[in-house]
Amino acid sequence: MPRAKIWGFLAVILSAGLFALSVFSFFIINNGDFSTFSSVDLNGLNSFTYYSAAIPVAVIALWVLATGFWIGWVILTIKVVPPMPEIVEKKDNSKIKAFFLCLITAALAALLVYGVYIRSFWSLAVPALVISAVILGAIFWVGMAIITTRATLPVNKK
Amino acid sequence: MRVLIVGYRGNPYCGGQGIYIYNLSKELAKLGAEVDVIVGPPYPDPLEGWATVYKIENLNIWSIKTKDIPPEKLNRIFSPWNFADYVLTRLHMFPEMETFSFRTFFALKKILKTKRYDIIHDIQSLGWATVPMKGYGIPIVTTVHHPLTKDREADLMGNRGLWDKTTTVLFYPLVMQSFVIRRLDRVITSFREGIDELQKAFGVKRERVSVVYNGMDVDMFQNTGEQREENALLFVGNTEDSKKGLVYLFEAMTMLPENITLTIVDDGPPKKMTAADMIKKYNLGHRVKFTGKLSYDALVSMYSRKTILVMSSLFEGFGLPAVEAMSCKTPVVVTTSGSLKEVVSPDCGVLVPPKDPAALKDGILKLLGDKKLRERMGENGRKWAVENFSWPVAAKNTLEVYKDVVREYRSGK
Repeated sequence: MPRAKIWGFLAVILSAGLFALSVFSFFIINNGDFSTFSSVDLNGLNSFTYYSAAIPVAVIALWVLATGFWIGWVILTIKVVPPMPEIVEKKDNSKIKAFFLCLITAALAALLVYGVYIRSFWSLAVPALVISAVILGAIFWVGMAIITTRATLPVNKK
Repeated sequence: MRVLIVGYRGNPYCGGQGIYIYNLSKELAKLGAEVDVIVGPPYPDPLEGWATVYKIENLNIWSIKTKDIPPEKLNRIFSPWNFADYVLTRLHMFPEMETFSFRTFFALKKILKTKRYDIIHDIQSLGWATVPMKGYGIPIVTTVHHPLTKDREADLMGNRGLWDKTTTVLFYPLVMQSFVIRRLDRVITSFREGIDELQKAFGVKRERVSVVYNGMDVDMFQNTGEQREENALLFVGNTEDSKKGLVYLFEAMTMLPENITLTIVDDGPPKKMTAADMIKKYNLGHRVKFTGKLSYDALVSMYSRKTILVMSSLFEGFGLPAVEAMSCKTPVVVTTSGSLKEVVSPDCGVLVPPKDPAALKDGILKLLGDKKLRERMGENGRKWAVENFSWPVAAKNTLEVYKDVVREYRSGK
């Protein structure tokens, strides 16, 4: 088997395995009882220990939310006149959607900051789960592409 | 003067950057500068005669679906910068400039062990790592033909719906460019109004901007002496770019007599549908044709044979087709948007306000109806192009900017 394909298989197995592990740890190991997580007490941790984990996770999550807010804000505030108003047939309600995008991202950001402040387990777990899912998803997808890509043309049986 | 030119794309046949790097480095070398080039793919032809080229890796995968990425690129994705590139492109961002700047930062560290430069000239990449590059103790100038805010505005103009607009906003790295450009030693732009545009878009101080007109190959773009067609308009440019204002040209076409035709030098359907859809809407199918991409020789021939070049742009950072046409003694009808009012002198063409199809129609009719005026403007255009827009002139003016920046840098200003 070519070396590239081996790397592809490894990427798929590793990313799928790690993702399955995180799903198992969150949803299966406790038989779907999420109250166990809510009772996790992070207040017992030394502040330095807590924030050394909380700040990096929160910064990445806030960056993503800020990007979402900024996109909404740009769409909401930019003044762009369509070239020929009469050729625009579809009604564009993107400004309304952009307003809600701003509202939701701002609310989520506020919730995250509050959650980190009161040391809620979920304020760290949800962003960490989402971020790792995105990265593992990317690795999985590339691995699949490497495995399924045909590097040479198929043999012409005729 | 020892110059390091840095550009994230180096194709010498298409795309402004590659052509700019190729010609500028060549002419600077003729003026006695020692030139090196750090460049991303597509790489330029060997510049062995005048410059050392350091190639920087980049997969160029921003518009390719994962399953369509060629195997040789796919196998290289798991290196750190390539993976960052991959993830960000899947999120609809355009990270090429960012990752290029980081790759260049580290490559330069190695190069500086054996070489020294008086100045670094960044060609419109403005990546994050250009700022720490200042730590190497070399002044950095950048060329920005026009701020990307103009491209974003033009794209948003054509976008319908939240998703299209979101991907447009994500695509342009304006926060990065705005942060980086204000920290560089000088910005070179290609027209005077560009100073205001850069100030408005990025808050660049006026005194930190120098104007150097772009260059073009005036030897290659010469009238071929072929018979000129009558009533034949020419448009050269990307029909998918809303900044080109094609809709106004089509509207003007509907007001012009039926015997006036338009040739568009770009791909038509099925590759590019925007212009084709408009042509159908305005019922201009029998008067407009596409040539597809042309070789330089064919393009020069096209300029030499058609009656007038028309540019209906809403914004131009330089307006290369106008200069190429003038160099081929072809009169032009252009809008006064962006650089065009500087690039086209009133005795080489007709200038009309942008977004005004009636004015465009009047300008076209004025020229089509007066052969002597066209010939006079054609002669003036050639002279104007040679005097102002040849590569030797551009390189000489760029070198003056370098000297000024180095002088300022060394005097600690």
